[in-house]
Amino acid sequence: MKGLFKSKPKTPVDLVRQTRDLLIYADCNPDSRESKREEKFATLSKLLRELKQILYGNSEAEPVSEACAQLTQEFFKENTFRLLIVCLPKLNLEARKDATQIVANLQRQQVQSRLIACDYLEANIDLMDILVSGYEDPDMALHYGAMLRECIRHQTVARYVLESEHMKKFFDYIQLPNFDIAADAAATFKELLTRHKSTVAEFLSKNYDWFFAEYNSKLLESPNYITRRQAIKLLGDILLDRSNSAVMTRYASSRDNLRILMNLLRESSKSIQIEAFHVFKLFAANQNKPADIIGILVANRSKLLRLFADFKPDKEDEQFEADKAQVVREIAGLEPREN
Amino acid sequence: MEKKKFPVGAEHYALYEEIGQGVSASVFRAKCLLNNEIVAIKVLDFERGSVDLNNISREAQTMFLVDHPNVLKSHCSFVNDHNVWVVMPFMPGGSCLHILKSAHPEGFEEVVIATILREVLKALVYLHDHGIIHRDIKAGNILICERGAIKLGDLGVSACLFNSGDRQRTRNTFVGTPCWMAPEVMEQLHGYDFKADIWSFGITALELAHGHAPFSKYPPMKVLLMTLQNAPPGLDYERDKKFSKMIASCLVKDPSKRPTSKKLLKHSFFKQARSNEFIARKLLEGLPTLGDRLQALKKKEEYMLVQKKIPDGQKEEMSQNEYKRGISSWDFDLDDLKAQASLVLYFILILKHLCYVRGGSGGLGLYLSKIEE
Repeated sequence: MKGLFKSKPKTPVDLVRQTRDLLIYADCNPDSRESKREEKFATLSKLLRELKQILYGNSEAEPVSEACAQLTQEFFKENTFRLLIVCLPKLNLEARKDATQIVANLQRQQVQSRLIACDYLEANIDLMDILVSGYEDPDMALHYGAMLRECIRHQTVARYVLESEHMKKFFDYIQLPNFDIAADAAATFKELLTRHKSTVAEFLSKNYDWFFAEYNSKLLESPNYITRRQAIKLLGDILLDRSNSAVMTRYASSRDNLRILMNLLRESSKSIQIEAFHVFKLFAANQNKPADIIGILVANRSKLLRLFADFKPDKEDEQFEADKAQVVREIAGLEPREN
Repeated sequence: MEKKKFPVGAEHYALYEEIGQGVSASVFRAKCLLNNEIVAIKVLDFERGSVDLNNISREAQTMFLVDHPNVLKSHCSFVNDHNVWVVMPFMPGGSCLHILKSAHPEGFEEVVIATILREVLKALVYLHDHGIIHRDIKAGNILICERGAIKLGDLGVSACLFNSGDRQRTRNTFVGTPCWMAPEVMEQLHGYDFKADIWSFGITALELAHGHAPFSKYPPMKVLLMTLQNAPPGLDYERDKKFSKMIASCLVKDPSKRPTSKKLLKHSFFKQARSNEFIARKLLEGLPTLGDRLQALKKKEEYMLVQKKIPDGQKEEMSQNEYKRGISSWDFDLDDLKAQASLVLYFILILKHLCYVRGGSGGLGLYLSKIEE
């Protein structure tokens, strides 16, 4: 009979409201093991799937922007967004994945050409604390991590995370034993340090000392090969970005940094060597080299030149060859300033 | 869902024989020393080939987050020296390609095919619902467990259309294995979507029926040409009508005219599908262990090479192996091939253009049929 008296299809707004009601129920009914509870969670999962399909469409149909806008507006009107994040651990795997995709999508939805997700997050910035701490829970890490990466698309949100105490924790998250989680944390870390240029430059100059001390000792000198490889690549990306030129000059004037980079140049891994070269060249090309940097380069001149003699990436790369030629010229032409 | 704990760290596993190989990865049978479970461990080497870290972490995450009885899920993954180890359930039956090669070189019978493919379709419905395109459907990636359950494996080149918050209309990367690759994936003109998997599914159906994929004895370049220019391949001898119709519906060059995985699952061809036990009885009974089978296949290949007596079937297998080896590097090591392919595409585009000039009559197919007249 159900089919005969089928109620008319629910609007996106109805769906969000119903979801909210169920999330409130999920939030304040801990562990009452009744069949009623199970039924409510089943409905909640179904609703989340429906919301996801409105936002993404399905294998047969594209999403409708009108419906997406209505859904988004209702979602941020009250605390549905917060409830969803807080209740995520109580949902099953499929519902968690749907929720993650919903949260990701909502960050990009415009309502009257405003990203209302950004306004909401600014007013609820403490949600970022929950998302970042997610890396400490293997069951939640990939879901909260994916949500976090979408939220820091907003510059103000990224600034909050960069300036928070959380930033220090990433150095450990990146090296978690679970590869999938560590890789997710690394992706978020990279996004934080590359996406919003002016914010990153400001963060790096304000936090230079502790940040690069940690970066060198925990990442570039990590016993974990993957960590070193990711870290040296990211360091190159950061320092070679024009907006970070002040930071780059400072980094390339330090003897300790040079020592670490020269050790990476000696690694057996070709990929690490190549990436290390892209940072090393900054030391060599610096036209105002401090005396101790010159001293090290001169002392190791013949070894460096020997290393560079047959040093090249697997794929031909003109830029690399040009850089290498310049570095070799610089080093070959160095005169020790003292003595 | 039974939840056994799988520890992270190479010291917790004992590696046994190799059961699979790719450009930058090998798969080993292994035992988890903590719970004594036999597992398969895929060892991905970061220093071999041009391996992209992002791709590997995406694969690890996708495999960890999928949850469907017909999709191979990973238990965990961790770093060990230069490698990432992905711990997965061991599938003692091996892949359908292994079974074809060692026991059914002429292909499977239809009931078997229907049963296998129905399970593969269920996996595809799940993946497509989650926005994931598998991009490498073929017998070599259809795995069989000891009780005859079928799992779709190797999400190594899968892509998520829903990735990072946006529905991306289409993908535009040249990945997959040439024989199974949909024309729109080769062309790289308008991008592709879930329907690319449906084409590969159709090719896989032919592979299971014949014992090898169509065009499998030709070099990759030729395969590209033939897929783009020839009529879609079909069964090479009389089979059940429903079967050939099902295949034909997948192998339509216009992706929008192919059925979705959900719709295809309702095709009458799959009504005859039987149970997992049936597969176990039909395909697995009496088979040597996976390790022994692979060893025997390897020996056979080596012997043939020494004798320089390479029968056609064997050539096909070797050719297929070549493609198989190519998989992970399609993203893209074989730059040469791509350059050649784009030359061909250029040529085709010129033909198409000519065709428009001659009266705006549509595509290449029409042009060619005009010549025949």
